[in-house]
Parts: sequence; structure tokens; C-alpha cells
Amino acid sequence: MPPFQLVWRNLTKRKARFLLTAGSLAIAIFLLCLLRSLVVALEAGVKAAAADRLIVQSKVSLFVYLPQAYGTKIAAVEGVERVMRWNWFGGYYQDQGNFFAQFACDQDELQAIYPEIQLVDGSWDDFQRDRQACIVGEATASKYGFKVGDSVPIIGALFPKTDGTTWDFRVAGIYKSTKKNVDDATLFFHYKYLENALDSGEGSGPAGVGIFVVKMSPGADRTEVMSRIDAMFEQGPQVVQTTTEAEFQAQFVSMIGNVPLFVSSIGGGVMVAILLAALNTMLMAAREQTRDIGVLKALGFGDGVVAGVLLWQSLALCAFGGGAGILLAASTEDSVARMLGTVFPGYEVTAGTLWSAAGATLLVGLVAGVGPALRARGLSVIDALRRTG
Amino acid sequence: MALVPLSYNLRSLVVRRSATLLTVLGIGATVAVLAGVLALQQGFATLFVENGRDDVVVFLRQGSTNEGDSVFSLERAQILMKTLPDIERPIDGPPLVSAEMYLAVRREKVGGGETNVPIRGVQQGTFRILGDDIRVVEGRAFAPGTDEVVVGSKLADRIADCRVGDTLVLNTTPFRVVGMFDHPGPFKSEIWGDRDRLAEALERPVFNRVIAKLKDGVDLGELKERMESDPQVPCKVMTEREYLGSQTTAFSFVLRVLGAFLAAIMGVAAVFTATNTMLAALAARTNEIGILLSLGFKPWAIFASFLFESLVLGLLGGIVGCLMALPLNGVDTGAMNFQTFTEVAFAFRVTPQVMVVAVCFSLALGLLGGALPALRAASLRPTQALRRD
Repeated sequence: MPPFQLVWRNLTKRKARFLLTAGSLAIAIFLLCLLRSLVVALEAGVKAAAADRLIVQSKVSLFVYLPQAYGTKIAAVEGVERVMRWNWFGGYYQDQGNFFAQFACDQDELQAIYPEIQLVDGSWDDFQRDRQACIVGEATASKYGFKVGDSVPIIGALFPKTDGTTWDFRVAGIYKSTKKNVDDATLFFHYKYLENALDSGEGSGPAGVGIFVVKMSPGADRTEVMSRIDAMFEQGPQVVQTTTEAEFQAQFVSMIGNVPLFVSSIGGGVMVAILLAALNTMLMAAREQTRDIGVLKALGFGDGVVAGVLLWQSLALCAFGGGAGILLAASTEDSVARMLGTVFPGYEVTAGTLWSAAGATLLVGLVAGVGPALRARGLSVIDALRRTG
Repeated sequence: MALVPLSYNLRSLVVRRSATLLTVLGIGATVAVLAGVLALQQGFATLFVENGRDDVVVFLRQGSTNEGDSVFSLERAQILMKTLPDIERPIDGPPLVSAEMYLAVRREKVGGGETNVPIRGVQQGTFRILGDDIRVVEGRAFAPGTDEVVVGSKLADRIADCRVGDTLVLNTTPFRVVGMFDHPGPFKSEIWGDRDRLAEALERPVFNRVIAKLKDGVDLGELKERMESDPQVPCKVMTEREYLGSQTTAFSFVLRVLGAFLAAIMGVAAVFTATNTMLAALAARTNEIGILLSLGFKPWAIFASFLFESLVLGLLGGIVGCLMALPLNGVDTGAMNFQTFTEVAFAFRVTPQVMVVAVCFSLALGLLGGALPALRAASLRPTQALRRD
């Protein structure tokens, strides 16, 4: 049992240094948690994707629309239970900076195909009945203060209203997703509303369907259904590629893929630099204690005890710094998530992240502690006392 | 009114060279990260803005923010091209106006994965307007009306099927790559072909934008206002420079925020390290301060002296950081511009502004890191300081 009181006294002898070193460690560990959480957020959608859903999209481009007639053809394919049209609307609320996703989709299919979308306020019936109704994710609703019954005016950038006015949606429900593949920031409204407006000339924009979401019948063979759909449109007019929901989500991750890589490599470098600096400070501090070691040994403390004191000093310092960093990451989770908001939803500091941060902390503690501890163990009393420093 | 000789501080830094080096490297790494991110932003923004021309105007559909959103029907484009009096129409040749089709298509990257590459269907007018800015560097230009394309010089190494002689399949139609072209601006990340052939292959019977060279002396402000409320073809008019600039705002903003965020976090850690080093310096030199005080130097002179020393540390860090960031200058990189969802190739640019910001930042770090130790040094009393060894 090492003398913990001595460990504590040694650490707090130079308070400023103790706080500054622990502070640097806290920052490095906080950064580690933050960066890992960002990457986790990106991949969350892919991991949570449903196995029985397929996405039919143009093989040519994200921005190419599929003919309406494809819907009935896909529905007739063996192994397909339900088909839903799904269009990116690309509008904004009041100002271009207020970004959240809006999708036009077949409202009855949405409820049937996406059981993870759970209303926390309002009702599905109300959403189904009213052509101009929409449901909004909790995050967006709380950010802009939307409540059930409110009217939400959206300016169509991709689908402008011909008379220059806004598209008005009435909030029929606020939803929360039980899985990460659907975020809590989206506004869903009736595909029919968009279709009718385009047909009547009330609005303008690309005709056709962005993607079709397919729900397979239970027991259907996934690869077979996928190749049946792809084969049907091989000769055009628009070639399609059918993927699983996971692959569909993964394509967006790979498209912005260099951004998280970029952030993590910079952040990783930063973290290593900070850790090295902290490490160096700790090693320097240990060297300054050489004379204290001599005194301890002269007083009759064993080699093991002296080495223990130095090791525990390092571990305790790291526990303070790393612990503060972990606490900071956990306690700022909500505010960081709110800051990233509707543009980058899904930020979550997972238990796995916290554990790996704790592991990194322990590692630094050991690396910084073992060297000086071993040296202290082997040092003779005379050598240690002779040193001034 | 005597200042402590500056050579005292400079020599002190040399004597404690390992601690000095650690601090300088810490500040340097921080500054290098900031400079690197800013250099990325500069490279990206100048690629667009510097290579946009003021005498070329871009017509977009009203309310759209980029050419991906913008659509002109064949008929509207014709009206614009044939009747607008402000367009330069040489007596001995065709008018300097061109309607283009634009689409970001899904292509495979050479190293695997997918990205979006812009395809531009152009009329011969585009070449007349841009003139020598577009240079064929390998092979030849595509023949009008044929299934041939030319690729931008930045694509060959990054995107599959983009070498001269390759075949690119678009939807169901194969296109032959007959040449490679260069352009100082963002066009070198695009694939160009005949607008009518591409429109047919991609089933997009529309134009996305119209570009034109204006007659000398046309009042741009007046033209913008007039076209906004044009009864036949209301549209948004921008110079090419303004248009390209507007495509960079979101990504530039993200890079600036990212740079500021990383710099802030690392800055705090660097200040901690600097303070630690200066505190250690102070502890080792308590005796010297006592001597200085008894020689008659006033506490404020001691304060100024220590602050100067940490400013020198900051400056050295800034220089080291700039030196670390300098090799990045001119290095090619690619990033997803999420405003247009396409990948753009550009080079880092470590501009003088970037370096000025970096050095100012490092001086601020030195100042903050030196403040506390300098205050402590100034508050020592001569007897107290001399007594310590």
C-alpha cells in the first residue's frame, strides 16, 4: 500500500503546474471523445438500417429522377410488399441558413414502412387526412418552436412556387425516431401535395421520383429482389441501382467521407501533440523529485514503495485530467448536439467512446509513470541525494 | 525607468533550450493546424473566385442558388439567347451566348468508392466565350453532335474511365473520351461534352444555365433588376465571378469554423504548456530575480521582461508553425463541396494573410501563457527571492 497522502502532497506542491497539466490532459481527452462521437454519428445511420428495406435510385446520378411509372412496375415484382415514393424537397425555412431536410413521401406508406417513426405529439390520422399536413422531427420542432397545429412556411429552392409564395405545411405531428437511421430533424409531407402542385402549374421543378423505398415481403430473398428490379430497367429509359438501406446510407458517408477523415486526422495529430506535451511536463516534474526520492530511501522506505509513489502520482494526475475531460464530454453532449443541430444530426457520446477515452487516459498515466518509477527504484541513496534540482 | 536588458531573456531561452524547444513546438503545432485549415480554405475559395470572369454573366432560374437547381425550358432559353439586346453579337460571327446542361453524375473513384462528378453539356458558344481559358492538353476537342467527351485535367488520376481513349457509359449510352482539357478554375474537375447528345443520353431535355458575354458598357445593376421582373423569362443574373464565389460560402464557412474551433482547443492547451514552461523557468530563476530586484530594477520591469520572454516564445512558435505549414503550399487535394454535392480538386494556398493570422495567433498564445508567470515574478520581494536556492 503506497502512502497516498504523500502522493497527494507531491501532486499539490506546485498547484499551478498540477492544474495546468491536468487541464491539458482534460482538453486532449475531451477532443478524443468529441471526434470519436462525430464519426459514430456518421456511421450510426448505416448500422441501424433495416434489413427488409431496399432503395431504388438512379444509377446515373443522385440528381436524376425516375419515371412515375416505375412505381407500379416495382410493386409487381415478386418479393416486394410495399413501395413508397420519396423526394428530396430542398427548401428552407425563412432563411437559407435555417437548414433541415424535407421529404415528400407517400404518407400512408411512410407509417407502414417506417415503424421507427413514433409520434410523440399529434396523430397519424390527422397527418393522413389533410393533404397539406406534415410531421416534423423533435429536434427541428424544438429548434424553431413548431407545435402541432402550427403552419410552417417553406421556401422551395428546388421546387419554387410559381407565384413566388411559400409552401405552407400544417404540423399534424411531432415524431421521435426509435432508431438512428431516421434522424429527428426531418419534415415529412404528402407526395400527392407536391405532385398536384406540379401538375396544376402552381409549383415548378423536376417531375419524377427521387427514390423508391421498397419493403420486401417476409422471407423474400434480398439479392434476388434487387437483381429483379435492376434487370427490369436495364434498357432504360433510366437505369436504376437497387441497394439495401445500409448501402444507401453508406454512400452519403463515403461522399462526404474525406471530411470526417480530415477532421479526425487533424484532431488526432492535435491530441497526440497535447498528450506529448503533458507527458513531457510530467517527466520533467518527476526528475525534479530526485532529491525527495533520496530522502525517502534514506528514511528507510523500500524501493517498491518509492516506485509506487511515483507511479501513483502519474496515474492520479491522469485520472484528474482524463476524468475532467470525460466529464466535460459527457456533460456537453446535449449542447454540442444542439449546436450541430439539424445540419448534422445524431451526435452521441456513447459508452464505448467514454471507455476508450478512459483507456487512453490510463495509457498516458502508465507511460508517464513507469519510466520514473523504475528509475527511482534503481537509484541509490547517495546518487539521489547528491543531485540538486 | 530602466528595463531589464533584453539579452538577459534571450540568453535564458538558450540556456533552457529543451524546455524552450518543447514550448515552441507546442505553439508551432497549434499554429500549423490553424494555418493548414486556413490554407485549405484559401485554396478552395480562390480557385473559384479568382478564376471567375467579370465580363461573363450567368443566367439562372429565379430563386435557384446553383446550376443544379436551375432549369430553363428549351423555349425560354431560346428567347433569352435570341432576343436579349445586352449580349455581345459580333457582325462577323455568331453571338457570344451559350446554353448549358449540368448534372453531377455518380462515378467510381480510382481507389474505390463513389463520388459525384459534374458533367457539363456545352454548345460551341461556351468555347467562344471562354476563349483561351480552356486549353486542350491531350488528344483533341470533342466533335459537335457526337458521342464524345473531354475530361478535366484533375479527373484522370482520381476518377475511373477518365483517361483519353477510355469509354464512359452514361445511363445506357457509351461516350468516348477523346481529349483532356485544362482550365485555371473549377472546370478542370468536370467532364464536358456536346449538350444535345448528353441531354439525350441522360434524358434531360432542358438547360440548366445560360452564359453570355455582355456588350461593352452594359449596366450590370440595371440588367439584374430588369431580368428579375422580365415578363417572359424572369431570371437571376450574376457575373461568373459572383456566381463562383457564391458556390464557396458554405464550405468556406465550415472550414473557418473548423479552423477556429481546433485553434481554440489547441490554443488553450498551448497556453497551458507555455505557462508551465514559464513557471518552471521562474522557479529555476527565483534567485536571479532577487538579484535583479536588489540591483534596483522595478517590479514592472521584471514583469515586462518575463512577458517579453514569452512573446519571443510565441513568435518562435509562430515561425515554426508557418514553416511546418509552408510545405503544404501547392499540394493538391480534393474535397466535397456540399453546396453542389460534387467533388472539387484544388491546392492548399499558404497566402501572406494566412501567415499573418498565424503569427498574430502565436503572439497571443505567448502573451496569455506569459501573463501569470510574469505577474508572479513581479510580485516577488528581493529578500524572499534571494533566500531561495
